[in-house]
Amino acid sequence: MTSSLTKVLGAAGLAAALSGIIASGPVHAASAEIVLGAIVPSSGPFAEWGRTNTATLQMLEKQVNDAGGVNGAKLRIVILDDATKPAQATNDLRKLAGDDHVLAVAGPLTSSAAEVTFPVANEMKVVATSQASSKPGVAKNNRPWAFRNTIDESVLGRATVPYYKKAFNIKSVAIIFDAKDATAATVGSKIMPGLMKENGIEVLNANDPLSFNTGDLDVSAQVTKIKALNPDGVVVSADYSQAVTVIREMKRQGVIKPVVGSTQLISSAILKAAPEIPIVAPATFYASMPGDKPQTFVKELTPLLHKISGLPAEIEPSMYDANIYEIGSIYIDAIKKAGVTGKPEDLEADRTKIRDYMTKLSGFPGLGGPIAFNQDGDAIKAFYIVQGQNGAWESKVRGCSAPDGKHGC
Amino acid sequence: MSMYYAGILSDIGILLLGALSVYIILATGQLSLGNAGFMGIGAYITSWLTVEAGLPITVALVIAALVSGAIGVAVGFPALRLKGIYLAMATLGFGEVVRSFLLNFAAMGGPEGFHGMHHISTGYIWTWAVSVLVLVMLIEASPIWLEIRAVRDDETAAGLVGLNATEIKVGAFGCGAAVAAIAGGLFAHHHVYIEPGNFSFERSVDLVLAVILGGSTVASGALAGAVMLVILPEYLRFLAEWRFAAFGALLIAMLLVRRQGLLDRALLRFAWRGSRA
Amino acid sequence: MPGAGPGVPKTRSNATPTSPISFWDAFVLIQQLVNGLTLGAVYTLIALSFSLVMGVLGVLNLAIAELFMLGGYFGFAILLARLPLPVALVAGMAGAALVAAIVERIGYQPFRGAPVVTPMLSTLGFSIILQNVATNVWGSDPLQLSDEVLSGRFNIGPASISAIQLVVLSVTVLLVASLAFLVQQTSIGRALRAVAENRDVARLLGVPAGRITLIAFMLSGSLAGAAGVLIGVHYAAITPYIGVEVGLKAIAVMVIGGTTRIWGSLIAGPLIGIVEVMTVAYVGSQIRDFVVYGLMILILLLRPQGLLGSGRGDQSQRV
Repeated sequence: MTSSLTKVLGAAGLAAALSGIIASGPVHAASAEIVLGAIVPSSGPFAEWGRTNTATLQMLEKQVNDAGGVNGAKLRIVILDDATKPAQATNDLRKLAGDDHVLAVAGPLTSSAAEVTFPVANEMKVVATSQASSKPGVAKNNRPWAFRNTIDESVLGRATVPYYKKAFNIKSVAIIFDAKDATAATVGSKIMPGLMKENGIEVLNANDPLSFNTGDLDVSAQVTKIKALNPDGVVVSADYSQAVTVIREMKRQGVIKPVVGSTQLISSAILKAAPEIPIVAPATFYASMPGDKPQTFVKELTPLLHKISGLPAEIEPSMYDANIYEIGSIYIDAIKKAGVTGKPEDLEADRTKIRDYMTKLSGFPGLGGPIAFNQDGDAIKAFYIVQGQNGAWESKVRGCSAPDGKHGC
Repeated sequence: MSMYYAGILSDIGILLLGALSVYIILATGQLSLGNAGFMGIGAYITSWLTVEAGLPITVALVIAALVSGAIGVAVGFPALRLKGIYLAMATLGFGEVVRSFLLNFAAMGGPEGFHGMHHISTGYIWTWAVSVLVLVMLIEASPIWLEIRAVRDDETAAGLVGLNATEIKVGAFGCGAAVAAIAGGLFAHHHVYIEPGNFSFERSVDLVLAVILGGSTVASGALAGAVMLVILPEYLRFLAEWRFAAFGALLIAMLLVRRQGLLDRALLRFAWRGSRA
Repeated sequence: MPGAGPGVPKTRSNATPTSPISFWDAFVLIQQLVNGLTLGAVYTLIALSFSLVMGVLGVLNLAIAELFMLGGYFGFAILLARLPLPVALVAGMAGAALVAAIVERIGYQPFRGAPVVTPMLSTLGFSIILQNVATNVWGSDPLQLSDEVLSGRFNIGPASISAIQLVVLSVTVLLVASLAFLVQQTSIGRALRAVAENRDVARLLGVPAGRITLIAFMLSGSLAGAAGVLIGVHYAAITPYIGVEVGLKAIAVMVIGGTTRIWGSLIAGPLIGIVEVMTVAYVGSQIRDFVVYGLMILILLLRPQGLLGSGRGDQSQRV
């Protein structure tokens, strides 16, 4: 009897402790402080990106504070993990905007999270800018507070496919995509088939879409089908870690054909999958990018990434690290130039000022060139068609996501 | 109340409904690992009705609950042939089939998901959650509950004393499916966007977990479980990247300390007496 | 031979237009059958792993999917240290068996009298822990072998079978045969079967039931670990989340094969592997999961004892 009572009390105590839910709440420093928020996936399947994003933002925070802060106030970036779960990302945003009183939010990373988090950003009237979402129309559906420091995949594809066609003399392709991943499925089933048609490339499996699901180990049957079709090239629309599986299988079955895809392919991991298979994809940043700004960024960030456990030894700053660094920098610029006070009573006005600054932004000096935002909330910036082969990305074409293809980059 | 707590509360309300859907079926001794499938059905039907047909949310939820309930009954009949873990695995299969179907259901976006729903308030979610919880608790206090427990404890004996086990078990499946559909409909209108990945095996397991952790012998256990499952990961944030590993360990610890779940009849009676003393 | 590619006949033009289409199609069919068999071998091992615990103890050990993943990482660690494949295989099996023993002591033993759902959820707790520990130790990015360990391949016309595929198939056969020997011919096997039949009677007859359940878990873990190493080497890339989808599929395979006879998996594994591959090849890749899980439900309803299971007597007794 007593032992069972102890157990009940023990369990109740555990539960009581839990219901104390972060009872302490945010601590407000007395001194002037500028607070920004970020939502990154530090656990779950995208943990690696979330963790390097975290290191990037901490570096930015230190850089700004070492240089005297923002308008004399100290910068603090509150970074929350969404565990790659969309519902957690929404609560992260509510916490950042509602409890931590941040001026603006960087993130969330995935399109699935952005889809549910951006509506909350609109409801709470706070700017949220995704560092990676590239599924068409996600920010557009959630104006005016949602932004993405990324370019819509259909815009990128318009420059990628012609280069791919010319470089490898492509007349026919087979398309394979991850049906469970919203971005990959949209690119693989809608955007790429359309672009191929525009460019006079035949899609050999147009009536027989080839797909697999996130988490699938085996894509041998799909690749055998591709092999039988004998295309000049293969469209792989999947997140890089899934694409690795496909490219490995292509190598195994001897399908050594140039691969093309979306920004989702950009990573150092994919270059190791099959160095002999050329990979063409668009990127707004890559670690070996020439130029003072990107090289300083890479030089400063890389040692910090090496300190994080559980990352590969040869880890390099990713495109999403560059994107979130730019997002943070844009917010700081907005605070400096748009008369943001950072005082609690001005919070609503400050957030609106940041939003209006973002909307009107032009020529902000990003890592890869000037940045602005279009009416859909997506970035107008330079991008590069990069080709990965023998273990490194090499830039082939410089493009611009402005409507006319040049002004603003 | 801050928006953050409102968001957490909404999540708890939705999970509570999902957990109750498992609880209702489990009360008759049937374990369902496919209730995320019913949630998905409810989410897609409700969303279609409000966005495409322009119906008010409450009407849409009721229709979705009825349709899902009918599907639940249809699933419940063949499920009678299976018991225990075999039934659990068949329902697991059902959940995967539904998810696979939604992924191929191009009319509502397939993998691209579906939008256009209007956001609902935390109060609205909790109106549903409390109503269903009270309803289940009323049933628990009624003679019907004795019949349900008799069927769970010994189906053959229940049959001998004239109880219709088939009716009770299939009915429970129908009711559980209806409640899950309401949870799904509310989920869709809370997040204003749905995609097939929202209704995976992982969510089915979450629903079962809430019931078992909270206490699977009383309806209020579902509430306790839902609160724990939503709040625990938030509370463990200070552990950074070890947050979910700790969550797993705590889950095992909870089961070890109290395998019948946090709440049970003995504890409720104890608390009841204590409060009157 | 680094980069197996160059030596392989690359194009369809080898077969067409001079030879009839059906000739080419036959090779594609052979290639797909080989693909299906390899996948089936993996399913067989993991399904056997599930079914050992399920058949003997009536418990669904959800951590098996993560034991599989861990086996892969252990194997990779050995291979990256430039040790040979057999060492990696043993390390993967031993490592996974050890973790399985911990799962048994903490996640199963204390819940022996509880309803089936309780140990299932405690093993789920382990699966969450293992996924997150793996993410923190090895990262979420795919860990890749720099080149396939055995990169040789055999070509039958345009169809090609890699050496590692043959290794996967033969090791699977070997493991299944040893397991068969163990269960059918040894005293441990007799004790396992006795506990599976009736735990209380077995204990009366002097079988140390506690130790037998531990052995069942460890055997099951070592099979999952072996599958992890084989798969890791074959696909040459693993992540902490590779167990999730395969685990669910393996449960379906176990059910289709019949949970009361662990040998059912031996038929059901290759069957599902081939059904999957053929669905992708000749029907449509998007309905693959629909077909597999639909088949599982159908089998459960029409033949709850599974394809090979006999008698329905002990269905209810397990639960």
